[in-house]
Amino acid sequence: MKAPYSTPRLCETAERMVQYGKKKGADEIEVSVVDSKDYEVNTRHEDIENLTQANSRFAAVKVIKGQKTAHVTSSDLSSSTLQTLVKNAVQRALFSQPDPCSGLPSLSRKKVNISSLQLFDPSLARLDSQKKISLALNTEKIALSDPRITNSHGASFETREITSALANSNGFSQQYSETFSSLSLGLQAGEVDNKVEGGHSSTQRFFHNLETPEELAKKAVHKTVRQLNSYKITTQNVPVVFEPRMTSWLLGFLFNCVSGISVYRRASFLLDKLNQKIGGDNLFVYDDGLLPGKLGTEPFDSEGVPTQKTPVLEKGILKNYLTNTYAGKKLHLPSTGNAMGNHVGPHNFYLLPGKTPPHQITASLDPGFILTRTMGHGLNPITGDISRGAQGLWVEKGEVVYPVSEVTIYGNLGEILKDIDTIGNDLDFWNIFAGPSIKIKNLTVAGKEN
Amino acid sequence: MKTQQTPCRMTSFLLFPVGTSLKICYIIFMEKITTNTLNFEDHFQLPSSKLYGILKKGLSKGGDFSEIFLEYRINHSINMEENIIKDTGESIAQGLGIRVICGEKTGYGFTNDLSFKKIKDTAITAGSLAAGSPPKNIPVPRSSPLNHNFYPVKRPLHNESWKEKIALVKRAYQKARNFHPQIKKVKVTLGHMTQYITVMNSEGLIRSEVRPLTSLRCVAIAEKNEKRQAGFSGGGGRVGREYFQNQLTPEDIAGEAAQEALLLLEGLNPPAGEMPVILGPGHSGVLIHEAVGHLLEADFNRKKTSIFWNKMDQKVGNEQVTIYDDPTLPHFRGSYNMDDEGTLPQKTLLIHQGKLTGWLQDKLSARLMNQPLTGHGRRQDYTCIPIPRMSNTYLGPGNYSPEDIIKSVSKGFYAQKFQGGQVEDSGKFTFSVNSGYLIENGRLTAPIKQATLIGSNIDILKKVEMVGNDLKFSYQTGTCGKEGQEIPVTDGCPTLKIARMTVGGRK
Repeated sequence: MKAPYSTPRLCETAERMVQYGKKKGADEIEVSVVDSKDYEVNTRHEDIENLTQANSRFAAVKVIKGQKTAHVTSSDLSSSTLQTLVKNAVQRALFSQPDPCSGLPSLSRKKVNISSLQLFDPSLARLDSQKKISLALNTEKIALSDPRITNSHGASFETREITSALANSNGFSQQYSETFSSLSLGLQAGEVDNKVEGGHSSTQRFFHNLETPEELAKKAVHKTVRQLNSYKITTQNVPVVFEPRMTSWLLGFLFNCVSGISVYRRASFLLDKLNQKIGGDNLFVYDDGLLPGKLGTEPFDSEGVPTQKTPVLEKGILKNYLTNTYAGKKLHLPSTGNAMGNHVGPHNFYLLPGKTPPHQITASLDPGFILTRTMGHGLNPITGDISRGAQGLWVEKGEVVYPVSEVTIYGNLGEILKDIDTIGNDLDFWNIFAGPSIKIKNLTVAGKEN
Repeated sequence: MKTQQTPCRMTSFLLFPVGTSLKICYIIFMEKITTNTLNFEDHFQLPSSKLYGILKKGLSKGGDFSEIFLEYRINHSINMEENIIKDTGESIAQGLGIRVICGEKTGYGFTNDLSFKKIKDTAITAGSLAAGSPPKNIPVPRSSPLNHNFYPVKRPLHNESWKEKIALVKRAYQKARNFHPQIKKVKVTLGHMTQYITVMNSEGLIRSEVRPLTSLRCVAIAEKNEKRQAGFSGGGGRVGREYFQNQLTPEDIAGEAAQEALLLLEGLNPPAGEMPVILGPGHSGVLIHEAVGHLLEADFNRKKTSIFWNKMDQKVGNEQVTIYDDPTLPHFRGSYNMDDEGTLPQKTLLIHQGKLTGWLQDKLSARLMNQPLTGHGRRQDYTCIPIPRMSNTYLGPGNYSPEDIIKSVSKGFYAQKFQGGQVEDSGKFTFSVNSGYLIENGRLTAPIKQATLIGSNIDILKKVEMVGNDLKFSYQTGTCGKEGQEIPVTDGCPTLKIARMTVGGRK
């Protein structure tokens, strides 16, 4: 039985701590409090493996005194502990050195209508445990009924209900609630020493938007078995197609390079490139915090700055770095509402789709490599260099001829941005980094000797 | 380790692609607690008699095993960049996790509200999956204190003043900044944590321990004309202030970071294709961790997803290959006096002269596989179920001198430092090399930046051709992620020659 949903009054706790911090001598103080209700079930081979349920809270405080900053986080929300931590922070701030760029954002007059953002699914609270468990069980069962699937990592279904409150000494005080649900499945195909791995996942704010067990299992099976009986190709430079989920990591890497923090630290190859052409005319990339119902949508960032739609690339021209208040001041730019803790974080960071259906992109390859999966780190924002382990599909005369594994791809983001010659029409906001299929003119795929 | 796996609890819904460093990490310290133990009963007013009742509550619907994991953790951090101490941080994490096992099923609940009512609710939640009748006798837990300490610390950092700790950070910063005119930006962070844990279970165990963990990290960015590169170095472990005097000074750490940045400025693009590869000592331990360690974690073998599951006692590598996981190495980051299930840790022989000899076990897998415990049940914190994990994993030294190994290669690649690695259960792995060298006619020649090594684990273990006599360990800053849980680890190896391996570079 679930208790009826009630919104915790976290704002009041946050406001009380703001008042306390001011009394203890803070020039400025910002307090956030997060309440999270988590549910996760993992099933494997038709049985429950783990079931985890919890409700937890967490507070984070930033104190500024004489342009000197100190931070606090705590999972102990008793007022005595929070008061001690805030008092410590006011004293400890003195050990920092004055930083002219420190400071909280002033109170914005702009206000985002929270309910129009569609962040909260009220039906989630009515979903009972049995239903959640059977979703995971069914998903795996459907996949295992395919004879080509030889083992499973299991399926999992998770839900989260989060309430976030933020108050600061400039008079900001707001809270909002949001929900997420996620279904995922990991599989193996093939015989003992020649196994391949694959899987699929779906995450949504609204439960009814989640892929069904049938859809999800089908995709997971497809993504696993298509890698069976793979070859290692010879080292060569070829056109490479990124599937949408691969475009996502490329966009994640681009985000890192346009993050105001990377830029002021001189840790990005896109330093000093604002308003310059860095990519093809066909590239339009946005960071949008206001897309209703999407995973990266939020009314305000972690400093209380209202979110917005920020152009990052338009016709290949770098329009904006993404900033929080601090990075903005460092770069003499306004905040784009991308504060995330002490960092800069994305909202919905996406590449605008083109007109070409993905099958037409495949048909244009002779030969070519469709990238379906990468492994390893190998992304260097300072140079833009990319070097990763890869799996994919080899295409000749427009047709997939065999799967490829144990190869690497090597390229440079700066060059790739200029070399994207086709953009697919298959954009799907499955992740906060979202993009359609793209075709890159030329990358090195390294494998066997010639 | 798997790329398509159960998303982790805290970050699953954002699913950041690998390579974006968006996760907010709180690197940390402690100050207010000055004694070396924390009495949970007093600290949280939770007498063990009440907790005994909670263990029983967890089993009230049936089940084989119940357990309480109590944690209190305090972290301090200092961050210096752009010539100033930019900020300091203090973090407290406290909470309790309750686990109830029934056959192969695990129910788990956690709370950071330590009121008795909330704890009782958590026990009921954790026990909700169990079926059957409650076990008749649950032994009253008796304290079994540890009589060893693998990390005695002379001057705990939590006893040092902020001034003293800031001085360490500034020393590192100045060293890197003044290292060379081409060093343009430096970032130094010092973090120190103390973690107090108590495990109490329905088998009658109560055991507690205190784990210090320190790290000093330095990133230096070098610029020359239009080129920019970053170098990294770090040090620490389960150590105190004395470490920075006797073992590794802040200057040592900073100098190494600066040097790497300068070297990478001259770095060429890597070669591409299959070739002989020499893995430098220490940092290449990531290969042992990924290609061998993960796949010997018992859960993957119990579930038959690991390529090793049916290979116990079989030859899986060259005879020169002997691999251990040792949680008892003094002061190492991956060490612990007891694991997160209260089990005493053991140095575990994983591969002996090329033959597979051991798994890394936690309680659940050991019971289901009918194997002895090895003390490798670890968890990130009280929000997580313990699973089999590595601690300090390394390949033992062989007979060759590193010079002879290099001399044996006429054309190849020498991997020196790594960003990290990744493996999937089928044994396919990837390592991201940060810096290395070309090998030409038995000599290291041009420096190489950013390469990827890729292969399949058993294939590579068989292709180990020469093992050096120079065992070293990687930086004491490593973190291993599995199923969303991040824990401190180290790894190590001597110089290794792999007959052939695919190097991902540019054609």
